[in-house]
Amino acid sequence: MTAIKRRMRRLGLLAVLVLVVAACGDDGGDATTTAAGDTTTTIAETTTTAGEEPTTTAAPAPEAVVITGSGSITSTFLPKCTNIAVFPQAFEGSEEAATELGSDPAEFVGPADCGDATGQIEFMSNAVTQGVQAIMVSNNAGDELAPSAEAAAAAGIPVVAWDSPIPSAAGESVFIAQVDFDETGVVMADMALSILGDDGGEFAILSATPEAANQNAWIAAMEEALAADAKYANLVLVDTVYGNDVAEDSVTAALGLVDSHPDLELIMAPTTVGIVAAAQAMTQEGLCDQVKVSGLGLPAEMAEYVESGCAPEFALWSFVDLGYLAYYVAYGIATDQIEGVEGETFVAGRMGEYTITADPTRDAGLRVLMGPFSVYNAENPGT
Amino acid sequence: MREWVAKHRWEAILIVILAITIVVNVALSPFYLGVGNFINLFWLSIEKIIVVIVMTFVIINGEIDLSVASVMGFSAAVLATLHLGGEVPFGIAIVIALAAGALAGLIQGFLVGRVGLPSLVVTLAGLIGFRGAARVLLEDRSIGDFPEWFDRLGQHPLVGPIPLALFVFFAGLAVAWVTLERGALGREVYVTGDSADVGRYSGIEVGGLKLRLLVTSGLVAGLAGVMFAARLGSVRGSLGEFFELDIITMVLLGGVSIFGGSGSMLGVVLAIFTVLNIRNGLGLANVDGIVQTGVIGLLLIGSVLIPNLAQRFGSRRVALEAVAHGPS
Amino acid sequence: MNREATFALDRRGSSWLRPERVKELTLLGIIGVSVILFGFAVDGYLSGRFFNRVTTSVVIVAILAAGQALVIITRNIDLSVGSVVGVAAYLTGDFLATNTTIGAAGAIGVAMVVGAILGAVNGLLVAYGGVPAIIVTLGTLAIFRTLLALYSGGANITAASLPDWVLGFNQVTVFTVGGFEIRLVFVIAILVVLILQWAMSKLRWGRRLYAIGSNPEAARQAGLPARRLVFFAFVGSGTLAGLAGFMFLARAGTISATAGAGLELESVAAAVVGGVSILGGSGTIVGALLGAVLIDTLKLSLVRVPEVSEFWRDAFLGVLILAAVLLDTWLQRRFTRRWSAEARRAEGHLTAGTGQIRPVLDGGSSDA
Repeated sequence: MTAIKRRMRRLGLLAVLVLVVAACGDDGGDATTTAAGDTTTTIAETTTTAGEEPTTTAAPAPEAVVITGSGSITSTFLPKCTNIAVFPQAFEGSEEAATELGSDPAEFVGPADCGDATGQIEFMSNAVTQGVQAIMVSNNAGDELAPSAEAAAAAGIPVVAWDSPIPSAAGESVFIAQVDFDETGVVMADMALSILGDDGGEFAILSATPEAANQNAWIAAMEEALAADAKYANLVLVDTVYGNDVAEDSVTAALGLVDSHPDLELIMAPTTVGIVAAAQAMTQEGLCDQVKVSGLGLPAEMAEYVESGCAPEFALWSFVDLGYLAYYVAYGIATDQIEGVEGETFVAGRMGEYTITADPTRDAGLRVLMGPFSVYNAENPGT
Repeated sequence: MREWVAKHRWEAILIVILAITIVVNVALSPFYLGVGNFINLFWLSIEKIIVVIVMTFVIINGEIDLSVASVMGFSAAVLATLHLGGEVPFGIAIVIALAAGALAGLIQGFLVGRVGLPSLVVTLAGLIGFRGAARVLLEDRSIGDFPEWFDRLGQHPLVGPIPLALFVFFAGLAVAWVTLERGALGREVYVTGDSADVGRYSGIEVGGLKLRLLVTSGLVAGLAGVMFAARLGSVRGSLGEFFELDIITMVLLGGVSIFGGSGSMLGVVLAIFTVLNIRNGLGLANVDGIVQTGVIGLLLIGSVLIPNLAQRFGSRRVALEAVAHGPS
Repeated sequence: MNREATFALDRRGSSWLRPERVKELTLLGIIGVSVILFGFAVDGYLSGRFFNRVTTSVVIVAILAAGQALVIITRNIDLSVGSVVGVAAYLTGDFLATNTTIGAAGAIGVAMVVGAILGAVNGLLVAYGGVPAIIVTLGTLAIFRTLLALYSGGANITAASLPDWVLGFNQVTVFTVGGFEIRLVFVIAILVVLILQWAMSKLRWGRRLYAIGSNPEAARQAGLPARRLVFFAFVGSGTLAGLAGFMFLARAGTISATAGAGLELESVAAAVVGGVSILGGSGTIVGALLGAVLIDTLKLSLVRVPEVSEFWRDAFLGVLILAAVLLDTWLQRRFTRRWSAEARRAEGHLTAGTGQIRPVLDGGSSDA
């Protein structure tokens, strides 16, 4: 979900509210029903789209292009930042792909800190100056990266986004989505449900920075999912706070949540930094019996807390696979084996067959949906 | 020549470092020499280096402004909010955004110049507070869709391959250079920076001078924020975050004393050129961001330490001659 | 604060209520008032729980601020502490992963040695290399971080690799009064501050640090071993940053190459809000501690006020810090004015600034 879309949704909600208020003057009851109906329809649509996705991908396409090694390419693999463990993992995947394809591995460069949201622009521009043949980027900004991506596109360099797309898709060839972003919302809602049970309870979200596009999209998707199904009715989202993807800030924010909401039973952190900090904070303060932690986490970092029962369940996808697939697609486009257009089907090494589709979560842009989500718990700690 | 070097030791050292940087860059990267790259090199850091110019004045005056990056974010947030509101024509919104920057400077300038609080404390609070104000305005939103002309000015060349931002920087630099080294204001800045008492005894209204400098600093930071908004095409609450240390690093590398009273615009310009060329060269050589920062750190220390050591071990003449015969 | 007047008054020893002490009492008062005010705004705020939160969270910045004060008093600054915390936390975590049996004292020792070495690098460059402290520590802020990033190769220290006692270290409680837990880390921080405070005011080297900061030229001419003292001030700051690094490791559990970034400005903020003059020569370690406590209390309190939205917190924090500094300055000036009047009567040659705080030109021999 792009920030713009979120804004539109907000405006939409606002409009609904205004309508309700305005209509209350003459015929309140009627207007309220209509408005509520509208909202439900929107959500139902989204849910349907999410449900359809895997089918599209799985559909066998006879004309699938098998991407094979045809010479070496120069490329840049640009993460949001280099200090969060998942990004070096993704790069490992891309190296694996490069080796299979007989190409030189990409250059792994990027800002040191994810707080530096616009730091990627410099690396992107340098890649264009170097005339690399492909750029693979996990966008840490919003559309701030669009001008430099467009410059790359103008220079004939395919820009393959992975992990986090360019919202307007300007300059972007295709986005390799780890999972469907709406599905992320459902997965998080389901984990909350499984931890809190049908009786439900209060939970809160600990996010990265207020501007983090991925996290915002996932949170919005989760809110939608919660509203869409009656089984979540007892799950009460009481607060959203930000730990800036800094361990210390996240610990402070998590403890603040516990204090501000005495009945809190769960902290949902859709960030690998936040979830581990929250789990650590609860463990330290002996709060694990009272407040559980869930969200998106890296199995290696979470093992401790799964074992202790502090974080009974969390989810993630394979970043190694994501980097692998991103490299295959970038290589395929750079070597003209695929064009990167809608409807194209290709085979990416060990990961099999994928189809490029329009991205249903954005107004524009193409998407390759990877998946699946892996849910980790005591039976499947993932380590 | 030798006399100039003796008088401008720091600048001479920077010229040598810059020359070495350029030679190394040319040797290492085939992409370095090129009009496009040289423009890029400035363009990618243009907002920072514009603020560096005004920060030079503030530091020579013996003060500091740690809030600049937050004020950038605040001004850009004001612009974005007004744009989103849609009631104000965009041109007016820009003026209001600049005024917001100046106002931020005025508040801090008043507390420093009139109330007499240390600028470090006031602008540290400003660093937190104005970033907070930007967040209050934008919350978790990212606001874009600016008028097409605004994006074009920010993202495309204006004359030939040169974008507007570079003209702004060089024009600002020229004005600042003349003001600092030829104008009455410049003299006041140096005198007061050297000793506030001497300034006061020579009839300079010290508090007022500090106030004016911080207002200017706020205004220029606001301008940098608006320019950054144009270059990025959208604004978030975190715009410009953490720029302050990079900006101060460039001023100090330029030979400006943190205690005020000394430093030259030439030194600062050379420092800007050196830092940008090193970053660019390392970037083209695919060196990671964190290592680039480390190299700048080494340079910062080395540029003071090595001449000091050379002097201490009695080879002062040798060192100076080496500098004098350098490729300047 | 007028440092010359401070010295003059020190010598006179006319009153136990010296300016530094007034400063500390004012800060304590401001902390008290804000706690009471927040007590009205937040349910269950005045509880042992909040006390435990603040005392556990503040220790890192408090210890850093104490080290920062040590350096700032000598008219220097240490901007590298955030990076030193990161390096010490990472290396200690790394060391603990393979040497699980060294125990708490051993681990803290490792962290402090790492910090001391990095502090010594700063100290060497500043004291013996003749490079201004801000340049050295801006440089090492970046360099230490770069070296850590290269060493770590992108791999993080994870909680799973650490012995269990590390993760619980910050919660070890010495004794409990009601719901108020007096935790070991807080006791350590308080001890560090009190010992330093005592040394700074009672020991010769401590007083000399003030003299150097007050007037470096005069101190050198008077034959003080200025270089050695400044060197050891940096070693001290580094060592304390190492200690803070261990506490950071215990608090965060997961350490990346950017751990601790930003703590440098927080520690400077705590010290200067606590009344340590950035121009050197004045301020106390206890003041720095109180500055840290004030900022942390405001920060943690704001998080707990339900009416303050997440997005308003930083804006409020900035305003509150300013308000605290303004109030403090105002109170200081009232006292200083009264004192200088007394001092003038007593000695006839001390003047104090009213609007601006300006050095006393004719009374500056106290530190030579």
